[in-house]
Amino acid sequence: MNELVILVVEDEPEVRDAIVRDLESLGPKIRIDQAESVDDAEGALREAKADNDSIGLVLADHRLPGRTGVDLLVSLHENPDTRHIRKVLITGQAGHQDTIRAINQAALDHYIAKPWEPEILLEIVVDQLTGYVIDRGIDRLAYLDVLDAPRLLEALADGPGRPD
Amino acid sequence: MTTPSGPSRRQAGIALAGLWFVVVLAIGDAGDLTTESSRMLAIFGAAVVLWVTEAIPLSATSIMVILAEILLVSDEAIVATSEGFDAPPYSGFFATLAHPVLMLFLGGFVLADAAAKFRLDRNLAGVMLKPFGQSPRSILAGLMTITAVLSMFMSNTATTAAMIAVVLPVTARLERDDPIRTALVLAVPVAANIGGLGTPVGSPPNAIALGRLADEGISIDFLKWMMLAVPIMLVVLVFGWLLLTRLYPANATTVDVRVGGEFDRSGHAQILYVVFAMTILGWITEPLHGIPSAVVGFVPVVVLLTTNVIGVDDLQKINWHVLWLVGGGIALGNGVGATGLDDWLVALFDWGSLSTAILAAALALLALTMSTLISNSATANLMVPIGVSLAMSPAVDLDPVLAGVIVALSCSLAMGLPISTPPNAIAYATGSIQPRDLARTGITIGLFGLVLVVVIAPPIWDRLGLL
Repeated sequence: MNELVILVVEDEPEVRDAIVRDLESLGPKIRIDQAESVDDAEGALREAKADNDSIGLVLADHRLPGRTGVDLLVSLHENPDTRHIRKVLITGQAGHQDTIRAINQAALDHYIAKPWEPEILLEIVVDQLTGYVIDRGIDRLAYLDVLDAPRLLEALADGPGRPD
Repeated sequence: MTTPSGPSRRQAGIALAGLWFVVVLAIGDAGDLTTESSRMLAIFGAAVVLWVTEAIPLSATSIMVILAEILLVSDEAIVATSEGFDAPPYSGFFATLAHPVLMLFLGGFVLADAAAKFRLDRNLAGVMLKPFGQSPRSILAGLMTITAVLSMFMSNTATTAAMIAVVLPVTARLERDDPIRTALVLAVPVAANIGGLGTPVGSPPNAIALGRLADEGISIDFLKWMMLAVPIMLVVLVFGWLLLTRLYPANATTVDVRVGGEFDRSGHAQILYVVFAMTILGWITEPLHGIPSAVVGFVPVVVLLTTNVIGVDDLQKINWHVLWLVGGGIALGNGVGATGLDDWLVALFDWGSLSTAILAAALALLALTMSTLISNSATANLMVPIGVSLAMSPAVDLDPVLAGVIVALSCSLAMGLPISTPPNAIAYATGSIQPRDLARTGITIGLFGLVLVVVIAPPIWDRLGLL
């Protein structure tokens, strides 16, 4: 396990930049990868796997050229290798059916409606990544300074800690 | 505490330990070294390497020590022991895993976990913090007092995790460049480490020393340990507070720390409160009723489990591996004593030529240095048998109790690096303090404590009849 990564999938460069900017404070400890389509995202996933990096969260727009964001999230959920990745949809244009599909077939972790509040976006991302770090048994101290410290400390006290 | 080792260090550790083990076994008895003491020397050396390099988990080394002792020097050894060697029963080595001191520790763990489950620790912290007001200096004093008190009964690590979670929101509300932020974050591991000195259940090194002394027939009850250690704890704590307020003077005029909330009033919580108070009362009144602290400590385990205050799932969360780690240390000390390796170690050097004070200082300094670099408990596992063996020898004029206490306290006073103890690692991981902050406060406090333990306290203990 090398780096913890957030994958942002958004086709409009300005919107993508805005998302990345809102998450800036998580760097450099947490890397943000960007993709403009589902194919592109799948490439980033393969690359991260090859580098032994761990993608903890995919933040995807729904309307993308080619396959949709929900398609991507469903395929992530169906693959045992990527099932544990936290999935967040950030969109203004997902219809009723798409949203239902994302919840039922992709076990969507959170839905963010565009336009978003920067602080709330950051809060949701931190919350999801903290859950990811705890669930995956990643060293609780490694991200104490950027993620939800009280929750990580609680998990640390609960777990099989090191002896004094 | 060291970070989990990389593959190369792991391989080197295992190779070195294996090499030592095989070579010493192959050489066998030589000079004053009997067959059994040479086997014990093979085990001891391998344990040193494995605990220092952390090539395998600390507790794995512990149970390996127990297995090796059973296979090589017990009455069920798979290789013949010498004529005239009174081989200790193998069941005795197994029994170290349920040594009375470990049962005492188990009681401490169960109480601490139950307290955390019902948030008694946080709520008590809130009550205790109230009288300290809001001025930065007194809040710092309050925070350190509470952390130290909790850490006397909970593990240093769990206490730090709980109290850092309290401190972080406070520091977030202060100005970025206010030095009090650093002081607040530093105060928690410092006080948690120091608080661990205070009671037999405060930290594993205390248990290791008590266990070894008990097996030499020297029993120290809960209250006597507290009388030895609490004054040291308080003086070091005050020194730490003075140092922190001096080095990191606050710009802010008020600091608002919020901790705790409503006490849980459910039936289970009330049972816990009563059991908690009764256990601590039972521990400190041992001279009155004569029931050993290990037995007193076993009562809450039974009561809390039978009344369903804690469930089987809570029992699973107990840090059993810490108990095993301590058990292996006690087994190592027993093996060293039973095989006569202690006599051989003592005979290596003409100790009579050293004054008691220099010997005590050397033991303390070695323990402090080792424990700064590796786990406190592992250091105690290695240093307690050596210190107590030396003190038990007629050639050395050192009180065994003093030797055990000095080594145990020195192990807990080591806090100079982020890796020295898990509490330091937690504080460092918040990103709010730099290694140099830990170094200048941790090393100063450690050395101050050492002088107190080695130079100033022993004559006072002696005069009070504690030794």
